[in-house]
Amino acid sequence: MSDMITFPDVVNWAVPFFIAAILAELLWIVIKGRGGRYETRDALTSLLMGAGNVASGIVLGFVAYGFFMALWAITPLDLGTSFWTIALCFVLDDLRYYWVHRFGHRIRWVWASHVNHHSSQHYNLTTALRQTWTGTFTFMMVMRAPLILLGFHPGMVLFVGGLNLIYQFWIHTEAITRLPRWFEAVMNTPSHHRVHHGRNPRYLDCNYAGVFIIWDKLFGTFVPELDSEKVDYGLVHNLGTFNPLRVAFHEWVGIYRDATQPGLGWRERLNYCVMPPGWSHDGSRSTSLDIKARYVSQYPDSAGSPGLPYTEIKGQNTRP
Amino acid sequence: MPLSVLLPLVGVGIIGIAVMLHVLGLSRAAQLPDEVAAKAAWLREFPDATPTRVILSHDHHAALIETDDGPGVVWAMGADTTARALSGARIRRTAKGLRIDLPDFTAPHIHLRLDPDEAAHWPTYMKDSA
Repeated sequence: MSDMITFPDVVNWAVPFFIAAILAELLWIVIKGRGGRYETRDALTSLLMGAGNVASGIVLGFVAYGFFMALWAITPLDLGTSFWTIALCFVLDDLRYYWVHRFGHRIRWVWASHVNHHSSQHYNLTTALRQTWTGTFTFMMVMRAPLILLGFHPGMVLFVGGLNLIYQFWIHTEAITRLPRWFEAVMNTPSHHRVHHGRNPRYLDCNYAGVFIIWDKLFGTFVPELDSEKVDYGLVHNLGTFNPLRVAFHEWVGIYRDATQPGLGWRERLNYCVMPPGWSHDGSRSTSLDIKARYVSQYPDSAGSPGLPYTEIKGQNTRP
Repeated sequence: MPLSVLLPLVGVGIIGIAVMLHVLGLSRAAQLPDEVAAKAAWLREFPDATPTRVILSHDHHAALIETDDGPGVVWAMGADTTARALSGARIRRTAKGLRIDLPDFTAPHIHLRLDPDEAAHWPTYMKDSA
């Protein structure tokens, strides 16, 4: 079994490219006067979140890696390291990413880690680097277990995951409007991912793809960017702080406060952890499906248009 | 990449980009041109709490909002805005205006730069309508 295989840490090697691309996008916006927006404190927070993500990987990476190596030790399968094995691993890992990302929006425990990526009201290349510090605590590493048990080496799985992350960097921009139709049909693009970062009711919880947008089309979560509705970036309730510590941990604090409030049963406490963001035991808050339903009730002509339900049914908010 | 290269690269990159943004004038706080804009900024965060009164700060960086559900405030968050209801708020004067402390981990302290007259009167509005 190929235990001694090493793959490059491509994300760290991509750091100079990230910096150069941010500078290029910034200059493009300043010179052309279009193609996006930058603001100092927002960008600084995003960059510090990115640095913290790298640091958390250094500090906590051994947890996931230890888990993966334990799986590798017990699996009898080894698919080797041929080009086609790596290519297949990349595609299957992108499918894995789709579901982790979808869980990240529909399970509050996972959202607590992912929310910081959506906490900027800007959408530029620094937003791509606004990454979680707490991914280890979501336990979503288990989603990679099938790949390793199927015989893909853990190093390869992490390698293609890094490539996936690098791919997603360049799509966090408003400087690119639309790409050729064949590319938009298959690949995740700036247009598709702008939608994913939208807080407009129709744009909530869609386009979870990492590299291939076909997963969203396959699983019914694709919403196109409409020229008639500009994307409004950020959270449903935007943060009132640029403090990276608060950005990183605010939803975890929210879960703790909700789940430990007096007078709840154990099921309600659990639901505050695992139900979709916005769920509450007394119905006083709104999930994304509630928000969409309310929007349709206010604008009946929008019913059934991309990203919106046909009816005003409320409370159907448990689907992951 | 060795940490001895990565860490300085990240540090210099972050500081360099932040300095460049500031030098390019991209640190300016958002302005609310008029009451309509302030109302829109409030409704963006609280679409179901229609403002009954809007008081814009003289520097147009913040607005006091009154609703049937109680008072709130809209303020500049960098080039954008955000808003919070003021339930449970503790308000005190500062040299530059007001400081609002909220029991909200995502907006624990709101610093409003206000004229002396505004700083004197806004707490009254906030309490009267609470």
